[in-house]
Amino acid sequence: MDWPALLLSLELAGATIAVLLPAGIWLGRALAWRQFRGKALVESLLALPLILPPTVLGFYLLVAMGGASGLGRAYSAMTGRTLTFSFEGLLVASVVFNVPFAVQPIQRAFEAVAPEVREAALVCGMSRWRLLRRIEIPLAWPGILSAAVLMFAHTLGEFGVVLMVGGNIPGETRTIAIAIYDRVQAFDTGAAGVMSAILLFVSLGAITLSYLTASRFGGLRRG
Amino acid sequence: MGNRASGLHVRIRQVAPIPIDADLRCGPGEVLALVGPSGSGKSTILRCIAGLHAPADGRITCGSEVWFDGEAGVRRSAGMRRVGLVFQSYALFPHLTALDNVREGMDDPDAASARGAARALLARVNLSGLEHRLPRQLSAGQQQRVAMARALARDPAVLLLDEPFSAVDRVTREKLYGELAGLRRDLNMPVILVTHDLDEAVMLADAMTLVSHGRTLQYGTPLEVMHRPVSAEVARLVGLRNVFAGSILAHDRQRGSTFVAWEGHRLEVALRDRIPIGTRVSWAVPSSGVLLMARDRPAGPLDNLIEARVGRLVHLGDQVRVVAWVDNEVSRPMSLAVPRHLAERYALAEGASLRLRLRGDAIHLMPGE
Amino acid sequence: MRAGTLLLLLALVFRGVGAAAGPPIVAAASDLQFALADVVAAFREQTGHEVKTVFGSSGHLFRQIEQGAPFELFFSADEDYVRRLAQGGRTVDAGAVYAIGRIGLFVPHGSTLKADGRLDDLRRALDEGRVTKFAIANPDHAPYGIRAREALQHAGLWRRLEPRLVFGENVSQAAQFAATGGAQGGIIAYSLAKAPPVAALGRFALIPEDWHQPLRQRVVLLRGAGDVAAAFYRFVQGANARAVFRAFGFETPEPLRPGRAPGGR
Repeated sequence: MDWPALLLSLELAGATIAVLLPAGIWLGRALAWRQFRGKALVESLLALPLILPPTVLGFYLLVAMGGASGLGRAYSAMTGRTLTFSFEGLLVASVVFNVPFAVQPIQRAFEAVAPEVREAALVCGMSRWRLLRRIEIPLAWPGILSAAVLMFAHTLGEFGVVLMVGGNIPGETRTIAIAIYDRVQAFDTGAAGVMSAILLFVSLGAITLSYLTASRFGGLRRG
Repeated sequence: MGNRASGLHVRIRQVAPIPIDADLRCGPGEVLALVGPSGSGKSTILRCIAGLHAPADGRITCGSEVWFDGEAGVRRSAGMRRVGLVFQSYALFPHLTALDNVREGMDDPDAASARGAARALLARVNLSGLEHRLPRQLSAGQQQRVAMARALARDPAVLLLDEPFSAVDRVTREKLYGELAGLRRDLNMPVILVTHDLDEAVMLADAMTLVSHGRTLQYGTPLEVMHRPVSAEVARLVGLRNVFAGSILAHDRQRGSTFVAWEGHRLEVALRDRIPIGTRVSWAVPSSGVLLMARDRPAGPLDNLIEARVGRLVHLGDQVRVVAWVDNEVSRPMSLAVPRHLAERYALAEGASLRLRLRGDAIHLMPGE
Repeated sequence: MRAGTLLLLLALVFRGVGAAAGPPIVAAASDLQFALADVVAAFREQTGHEVKTVFGSSGHLFRQIEQGAPFELFFSADEDYVRRLAQGGRTVDAGAVYAIGRIGLFVPHGSTLKADGRLDDLRRALDEGRVTKFAIANPDHAPYGIRAREALQHAGLWRRLEPRLVFGENVSQAAQFAATGGAQGGIIAYSLAKAPPVAALGRFALIPEDWHQPLRQRVVLLRGAGDVAAAFYRFVQGANARAVFRAFGFETPEPLRPGRAPGGR
């Protein structure tokens, strides 16, 4: 059982959610309420990581962040570390491949809020901030929670991109998914089995939580 | 809060997305009904007043405040206009209690006094005891009252009601009419009531503006608009079925009558000597002005006698709605309503011949189409 | 977002930057999967210092080092990769040969193949159509895969076997495929076959050394390596470590076997 790997995975998931959830709320809300030319293209781009093979994504991330890239060199100059093979690089990759999970459920949730309810809030004189805080987010809450849960589970399980961008550096980029792969290659099926079981239960718990909250809040919006 | 004395003045012009050409005014304490068929643009006009939609051009002022001015580029946000709006679907915040819904309508919902004030408002609309219910736990009538309380929470400069009674059953609606009438006494702001129901307008409003295809057609008291429409179009919109084309034949000032030519008939109507002879006019007579004439009775002054044949009969409760072909011409249908006992007495049946009496004082003249 | 939360987030994201150096990370060819673990344990016992290990094919690790992976020491199964790194200025020096590896045929229990190091049984099995899958390391970048190919070519079996080959990303994964029933057998590292978890799964026979280029394994300190890495580098060439390597079937370089040419590919 590789506890540091599990901890690393949890840190990566947590950091991804912390960075991406506010962005997801902002983007999801903007896409739900606005119509503009090229909206379909924007939505497609945001959904791209869902269908792109992880190795393709990993390849382009390496090109963008690797030692030879402008970004990679600038980062090395600033911090003395490489962006690839580091936790920060993994976080960048994680944020990129989690974008669809951050945006889509939240966008659907905001779309489900009746436009007249928003208008009523505006007529009541609510500031945009209060409208968001008191009306829109509470009503879109199931979608936001869903997004967080999906991002959590997806980050914990992501393998191909993590391996390509992060390598298998213990304590830095060896996530629990990589650790399982590592243990299988080392003929250590015991450890691999324990870690896989943990991931299985965590994922199951996450998805159950997502469904439970959706059903609990689902009836509220129809009221 | 500007001086509200002069009330609400609205002028809206736009071509797209919905063509609007509207002029409205409503004084403080006055209830103006905005009436028109579905799709006539009345809701859009209301939304322009509320600040939810900016028209292409026009000017909206309330008292001394300018809320919108297309030329000067003024556009005040909905929140800054301080309007109270009751949506057709009520648009209550589904996750907040009735009390919190009303509180959010206030200027400072988190103030210490807000809860008490909200409670008082709910009491005013007869919802005491239901403060902690969620909207889905309230009946339609109760939701409507919460929406009303929320609209009033801010002491609005204008109260806008968008078909607030349409989603409610008849019994509840009657009750709500009474409550609105009661509330009215305390409201000293312009109130605009959008409705497609003319009877509602008659019951609740001081004045009425008729809207069709985005154009405001006539303003006046509801009875004025219904009985003295300014055009054939308005006449049809307010439910007058008997609208025909004719021309002025002559005026007789001594008799106090004007004579109108119509399909070979010479109709005598109340004197309108300002209209030049020969002018083409539209004329209308309500069903109540078309009566059966017994053959043995003599005709009175301003009685126009017409021969007709019964085209269609519809029995509706204790009335019979008759469409008769004047001069046996299908192109001249005349609608009238006959009490059942009379219909039986005259043995009315399809194809039977009829003698109709058009009351000249009920005939209304309008410009020709 | 309150300032405190923001700071916490930044601390989380940039946890690695500026942190005090932890144990050095050592990149090692996969044939050392089991042997190096014992060497690391001996080092810990002797000096109290920890060393972290990452295993993979030598070619794969070579590329990662070129891309700036934070390794301090590199155990390559092939001298060539170390030479290229030295030429690129990424190493402290030319490094040292620490072991010479061997390949052999591994067949899992119950396989249709027999553990015949001269591959005659394999030839017969091919003739009789008894072979559906055969595992070796990827000859594109794994030294053990390259040597497996050379041996098979020497035996004249390469062209016939090629369509049935399953490539492991590294020799450890090839051993996985060969040992766990994915294939009828494979050519893997002697050091892996000697490890108890693998040995228990089947039988192994060495393939003659002169059928392929030698597997001269070179270790080198990478530029920027710290003191612990340097100490480990020295330890690995010492008597303790050599004993471990020999136990895993490696030849250790101190007395060169007569007749073998020094250097070489």
